[in-house]
Amino acid sequence: MGDDLVKALVDLDEDKVRDVVKSRLEAGDDPLGIMDDARKAMEVVGDRFAEGEYFIPELVFAGEILKDMTTAVKPYLNKASEQKYMGKVVLGTVAGDIHDIGKDIVGFMLDVNGFEVHDLGVDVPPRKFVEKVQETESPILALSGFLTLAYDSMKETVEALADAGLRDKVKVMIGGGQISDEIRAYTGADEFGKDAMAGVALAKKFIAAE
Amino acid sequence: MPVIKDISIEIGMEEVLRREGIDAGKDMRPRIKEALDEALEEAGSSGLIEPVAAYESYRSTGMSEAGVRLEGGGEITGSLIPEVFPGADGLVAMVCTIGQGLEDRVREHFENGEQMRGLMLDGIGSAAVDVLSIEACHRVMQSLSARGAAVSSPVNPGMPGLPLTEQAHILELARAGEIGVSLTSGGMLVPRKSASMVIGVGENMPRWTQEQVCAKCFLRKNCLYRVRPATRG
Repeated sequence: MGDDLVKALVDLDEDKVRDVVKSRLEAGDDPLGIMDDARKAMEVVGDRFAEGEYFIPELVFAGEILKDMTTAVKPYLNKASEQKYMGKVVLGTVAGDIHDIGKDIVGFMLDVNGFEVHDLGVDVPPRKFVEKVQETESPILALSGFLTLAYDSMKETVEALADAGLRDKVKVMIGGGQISDEIRAYTGADEFGKDAMAGVALAKKFIAAE
Repeated sequence: MPVIKDISIEIGMEEVLRREGIDAGKDMRPRIKEALDEALEEAGSSGLIEPVAAYESYRSTGMSEAGVRLEGGGEITGSLIPEVFPGADGLVAMVCTIGQGLEDRVREHFENGEQMRGLMLDGIGSAAVDVLSIEACHRVMQSLSARGAAVSSPVNPGMPGLPLTEQAHILELARAGEIGVSLTSGGMLVPRKSASMVIGVGENMPRWTQEQVCAKCFLRKNCLYRVRPATRG
């Protein structure tokens, strides 16, 4: 049964996913087990995206199916087993840059993969990032930027985090445009991701290492 | 300042899919096709695309390796213009936009949890700006040809040798404010679905295809918008 669900979601077979989830829930299957299978499937979807077999629309489609699935499973979760967020992420496009599509897709993929996302939007000054991290106690800060000038804003944001005494409590990941490890080192971020699924993988890695 | 408003924008499915990295020949999932069809209909029927272009011609008063000086005191710095059209005796600065409407609708879709629809509509907007730029360049070519001048293919700020910082000068030269296009402090065009460019004017002006431009760009390996050599047939 679990394999059926993983295969259906990996194949983006929306109807099959809906049917399998319904049957499993009606049969009294553990809803947490269903969500575990969904997570396994999303990892395969991420691999297919990384290998160039799937593209952004397929990634978003998988996210939409997962979102519907989560809605269907939620009423079956009791208080004790109710899924908690994997972790919190503060996300935004840095000051001076107003690109948002890439950032929005990262936010969506983090959300459907179980993260509580605090999206601050675009052209976000360092101070706002710091304030949101303090308010939410988020252990992850995700900075997006497409323009080369965004690299300076990312650096300033990481410095503002350090000035607020938060640098050792918060992992910073950056992404967008032509981000490389050289740029990551320049900004002082911990990691960089090439795409939305890399962002999800990094967030999971940060949480696992906590 | 000439303003072009009567441009009809027709966008094919292939142009949108290319911007999502999908080859036109690839089988499309019904859900993705449905979202694209809906977005194409939405863009076409609800006045979300309001194409307009503004341009101005200038005589060159001097060209060097560092750039070009223009009548009226304008200047465009960078090695690209002297490199690609050294024989130009004038330039056209042009700005095109499809307006703010589509961009606002994309945001609404994302906020309403309709990510796929928003993604497709955003791709349509990008394709529309490209179609508009090509058509506006064609109109300029027709207009100047009637006066006996030849025009080059366009170059855009951000290309190697034409720094993005020059976009401010190009907008000023094209009087972009008159069609509602401006720059953020970071040098980004607002509305975002806009483009600025410079066209060479003179005798024997060079022309090139988008494929040739993409082949020289430093983003050529992974840019979603790149045009690659045809592989079919």
